[in-house]
Amino acid sequence: MAMMLYQYIGLVIGIVGIVYTFMRFRENKMSLGMLFLWNIVWIVLIVLSIFPEATVYFANLTGIGRGLDVILILGLIGCYYLIFRIYNMIENIEQEITHIAREIALQRENADLDEKEDEED
Amino acid sequence: MPGEPLKKQDTPKLLAQVEEDIWVIIPAYNEENIIGDVLKELFSRGLKLVIIDDGSTDRTYEIARAIVKDNPGRGYLYHHPINRGLGATLKTGIEACLAKGADIMVTFDADGQHNPDDILPVSQPIIEGQADVVIGVRDFDDMPRVKKISNQLMNIITWIFYGAHVQDSQSGLRAFNRKAAIALDVVSREYGISSEIIREIKHKELRMEEVPIETIYTEYALAKGTNLKVGIKILVKMIRDVLK
Repeated sequence: MAMMLYQYIGLVIGIVGIVYTFMRFRENKMSLGMLFLWNIVWIVLIVLSIFPEATVYFANLTGIGRGLDVILILGLIGCYYLIFRIYNMIENIEQEITHIAREIALQRENADLDEKEDEED
Repeated sequence: MPGEPLKKQDTPKLLAQVEEDIWVIIPAYNEENIIGDVLKELFSRGLKLVIIDDGSTDRTYEIARAIVKDNPGRGYLYHHPINRGLGATLKTGIEACLAKGADIMVTFDADGQHNPDDILPVSQPIIEGQADVVIGVRDFDDMPRVKKISNQLMNIITWIFYGAHVQDSQSGLRAFNRKAAIALDVVSREYGISSEIIREIKHKELRMEEVPIETIYTEYALAKGTNLKVGIKILVKMIRDVLK
């Protein structure tokens, strides 16, 4: 069975994804949970690239006509989920930054008062 | 101060006594043009000031520092190393006041839009023990049209989302007693704080009073505060709060 171009592209993206994910993990820039999650995504991508017929099974299972549609819909849902996660993550980081900024401010009450005033007035 | 209501024309001595117990929280962000005058005026009335510079990029902090230095023991200056918004700034101010043992706290905008004469009337229900929170109500008819409409809109939105109907949900001049300041559980970093405070008043069943205040509309003050863009941001935030 000859592979189509999109299958090669999917395969390459999957492999690059796995390598990159592992590199991030080794540099401690990714948690173990995220490593698993991302590798599942990449492996699914590779498997579906090699065996695109497998999507038909999911299509029949979910009642969504064509295999490709299932992938697109799942992909979209996955993207939305990730955006949601990132959004919440940023919000948490913002809150933490605010907390730190407030804490620093409170600890440094009247801190520079005795410093020489620079060219005031 | 039981009994007699306090008025501006009361004896200066009595006034001085009361004002010494009032802690004024002044959130400031890039107000170098006016903050000097505002602080000097408030210090001259014997009030205690808690000034929080919210990571200003201009000379707000330096100016405030020089004035606080001239009034030793009555001014406390804090500085967010980076800009975190009005909500975070007010929280820092309230926390600082609580740490100092303050019983009466008044929030006062640094942009010169409030009349210092209003501080006492706004504090009065707190001093007399009749309220936990007092909101200074601006006269909407004095406002430029766009401001009037956006403030009315914010009142409606605050009412819809937080179920609390107040005359001026976005007012910057408010007074709290210690109990209310401790009870306030707010998370907004930005201008949404104003509506959130209203929500907390309702949720925590704090006694609220509304006192009319004057607003000084200078060109300078007009360019700041709640505008349409901020209003939309607050709305989005409220929707999220409800869905949470």
